[in-house]
Amino acid sequence: MNGEHVPDLDFQKEPESIIVIDDDYAMRLSCSQILTKSGFQVETYEDGARGLEAIARLKPSLVVVDLKMPGISGMEVISRLHDGDPCIVTIVITGYATIGTAVEAMKAGAYDFLPKPFKPDELRLIVRRGLERRCLLLRARRAEMERELLKRRFITFVSHELKTPLAAVHQYLDVLKHLGDGKTSGVDREVWLGRCLRRTEEMQEIINDWLTLAKMESERLSRRRIRVDLARIIPEIIKNYEDLAAARGISLRSELPGEGYLVWGDPNCLTVLLDNLIVNAIKYNKPEGTVAVSGEVIDGEVTICVADTGIGIPEEYRDRLFDEFFRIKDTACEEVTGTGLGLPICKRIVSEMSGRIDVNSQVGVGSVFSVHLPACREPDEQGAKEEAASESQVG
Amino acid sequence: MATGKKILVIDDDADFRASIRPLLEGEGFAVIEASSGKAGLEKLVEHNPDVIVLDVMMETLEEGYGVNQAVKYQDRYKDFRHIPIVMVSSIQETPLERYPYAEAVDMIQPNRYLSKPLDIGKFLEVVRRLAHVAPHVSQR
Repeated sequence: MNGEHVPDLDFQKEPESIIVIDDDYAMRLSCSQILTKSGFQVETYEDGARGLEAIARLKPSLVVVDLKMPGISGMEVISRLHDGDPCIVTIVITGYATIGTAVEAMKAGAYDFLPKPFKPDELRLIVRRGLERRCLLLRARRAEMERELLKRRFITFVSHELKTPLAAVHQYLDVLKHLGDGKTSGVDREVWLGRCLRRTEEMQEIINDWLTLAKMESERLSRRRIRVDLARIIPEIIKNYEDLAAARGISLRSELPGEGYLVWGDPNCLTVLLDNLIVNAIKYNKPEGTVAVSGEVIDGEVTICVADTGIGIPEEYRDRLFDEFFRIKDTACEEVTGTGLGLPICKRIVSEMSGRIDVNSQVGVGSVFSVHLPACREPDEQGAKEEAASESQVG
Repeated sequence: MATGKKILVIDDDADFRASIRPLLEGEGFAVIEASSGKAGLEKLVEHNPDVIVLDVMMETLEEGYGVNQAVKYQDRYKDFRHIPIVMVSSIQETPLERYPYAEAVDMIQPNRYLSKPLDIGKFLEVVRRLAHVAPHVSQR
């Protein structure tokens, strides 16, 4: 993603590497034997300076360090070893006499400490726990970095997508002002005004879509879960688009199951979903084309299909169709305006309802977007349960 | 009033091109339009303009920088290397902010960088100066 470094999570590739730093030869030898036997790759060093040099070079997953050593102390090793990799886990080994220092070491970033003398199993256990800890740290860090990247990319795109139409409108108006009242060839005021209006509408659409996404981000839009009868809401939604379709000579049809066409979700979200799919089917259609909304319920799964007879989607674009701000640059749809946020919103809504959305398309013939959602249980059964629940609460 | 000079405008936004054309024509320039970096380079060779006005974000995020680089450094465009480039973008990021090393290695930098929406007076002044045209005296 943008060539930025995201920590690798593929732990199983090779044995975890561990560095042991202790001035006591017998301790180095026993730690090395115990850990090597458990399948780890172990290197030992007799002082802090060599240890730190090796950490920078070998990038181990875990470091076992004695606190009391001549030269660079264990404490200093702990404070410096995170320079290269903040997820290295450190385990301190120490005599009983310095337990206060061990607590200090943990404050400085050590993961745990092991008092001397210890049994082989105690070392193995603490190392395993340390490595699990590292795994969690890496996962969290990776998730954080991915979120950060997405956020940054999103902000760049939103600002560009909003600034471009705004700059276009501004420039039309500014040029009109600059050229004054005199007739200038190449200036058609009517056309320019129409373009300014169109571009401001475009900005409004982007802002609306963006707000929809932001609301979903904060879960305000999708928290509600009620039983929704698709056979009732879909015809209502279609009705809203009759004028838009008629203006382009497109006919709207629907063929929906009469009974049991129910899902468990938020009616607002479902309306946003269907709005987007139907508008797309009209916008990317051919003049005199048709938009058909159909549905079925099979084996506990509800399907909604929105089919158009439009320009179709070339195969190479299908993978990116649901990416934010992705828009096909193709001569066939040059004139169609859009925000590049409609399908990402649809995907988001569908996945929040534990469903999925897919597309079938043939260039020049048309596209079919299919939404699959878990069906709601039978109305009677559900209704009875709800009644029972409310009664028991009252009682 | 015609200056005999040609300005090549490379921008994927048709509205930007449509509004800038009468502005430049009003100053006596001939305007050539291109809606992508690739088309721009073709028009460059075909028309040999006096100044290039170039957008940054077109089909790709950095298309404008690619065109700038091609004109200034690729051998096939060596006859056009001297043509000044005015880069225009709505991104609030100058070439140096975007490519901090650009100055040191003498690359990517356009002759001028202006942000959109354009300050029309300043834009026309920049284009006139780069095209070596004296300020046009308004007849109004």
